[in-house]
Amino acid sequence: MMTKQVRYEALVKALHGDLYRYAYWLTHEKQVAEDLVQETFLRAWRALDSLKDEKAAKSWLITILRRENARRFERKRFDMSEYEEASITDTKSVTTEQELENHWLREKISQLPPEYSEPLVLQVIGGFSGEDIATMLELNKNTVMTRLFRARNQLKEALEAEPVKRGIYNG
Amino acid sequence: MDDLQFRRAIYSDPNNQDADTIAAQQDDPSKKQFAQDIYKLDEKIKQALQVPVPDDLCNKLILRQTLASHQVQKRKTRVHLALAASVAIVGGLMLNFMQFSSAYSNLGDYALAHVYHEQGSFANNATNQVTLTSLNQKMAAFDGNFSQSLGKLLFADYCRFDGMKSLHLVYQGKTSPVTIFVVPKNEQLRFSTTFNDEKLFGSSIEFNKSNIIIVADKNESLGRWQQNISETVSWSI
Repeated sequence: MMTKQVRYEALVKALHGDLYRYAYWLTHEKQVAEDLVQETFLRAWRALDSLKDEKAAKSWLITILRRENARRFERKRFDMSEYEEASITDTKSVTTEQELENHWLREKISQLPPEYSEPLVLQVIGGFSGEDIATMLELNKNTVMTRLFRARNQLKEALEAEPVKRGIYNG
Repeated sequence: MDDLQFRRAIYSDPNNQDADTIAAQQDDPSKKQFAQDIYKLDEKIKQALQVPVPDDLCNKLILRQTLASHQVQKRKTRVHLALAASVAIVGGLMLNFMQFSSAYSNLGDYALAHVYHEQGSFANNATNQVTLTSLNQKMAAFDGNFSQSLGKLLFADYCRFDGMKSLHLVYQGKTSPVTIFVVPKNEQLRFSTTFNDEKLFGSSIEFNKSNIIIVADKNESLGRWQQNISETVSWSI
């Protein structure tokens, strides 16, 4: 028998990673992202009976998380300083070139305006289509596609503009 | 499909599988190259976005939910207890209400019921007689006084008239005893000037603080009794 508990645990196991990553890119802070995911799943547990279609679970959870995040800002307006959060969170010493590149790219992504990075994260990590993202963010599909285009464009330009500096890192 | 359109399509979704974009790639090698570049970029982005998830997050989520649902269950039992208590209280109140509230809505109905209830206790030809003095002693509780006797008084005592202390007088009548109640005024029972059923009839006189109710069989002249009472009774303040 599929009890509520079993459903919930399956949901947590399958989706907590993606949800955490999404929360991380939304907040740029590990601890806040973790709290956000916890709140989200707690709410999801209370409303689990309203989730009829298991396929829609991910977008359902992301919608809860976004609402929860908005609530966080209602409660307290965080004064985000302009330091580069991504570089602080990733304190591990980079070893391989791949990781170095990841590290660098993360910085670039976290520097993207949130309205560009959010659809990008949803598309790349969440695997959502343009229509799905448009529904979740309550935007027009064309707007979403434009933002995705600009996000990638900016990243590509940044990537092309900085080969010298990366060389110094590597050296 | 022109170059700009193609670039937009690829930029906004590198995995684009539209027939148009696929055809454009096959026609133009530079477009294919571009698409592959962006696809590679996307792979990098994907890797970069895969920030490590805390190892214990999954367990924490399950733990928090288990604790929360445990609390909910505890709250539920408390709710059940409260519900049971409420039902008990409501039941108690209902019982109380049914037992002690009057089943009669007006003075007349109650007076008739009272008389029928005690019908057997009084005989019209009983020998004992209550004096005017002792009647007036009892009437003092209602601040009332009778200047002379209304007739042969067989019985006079306090009794409960729908839960109120009242004076119950029984006079000798023509064929059966005549009952007179002196009742303090009360909101609960509606005042009814006259009332009757198949055997008995009655009337009430309203005074300042009390009502006097006469119940007799249909051989009696209620009007005379009423007149006698009105003439002889006096109320002190």
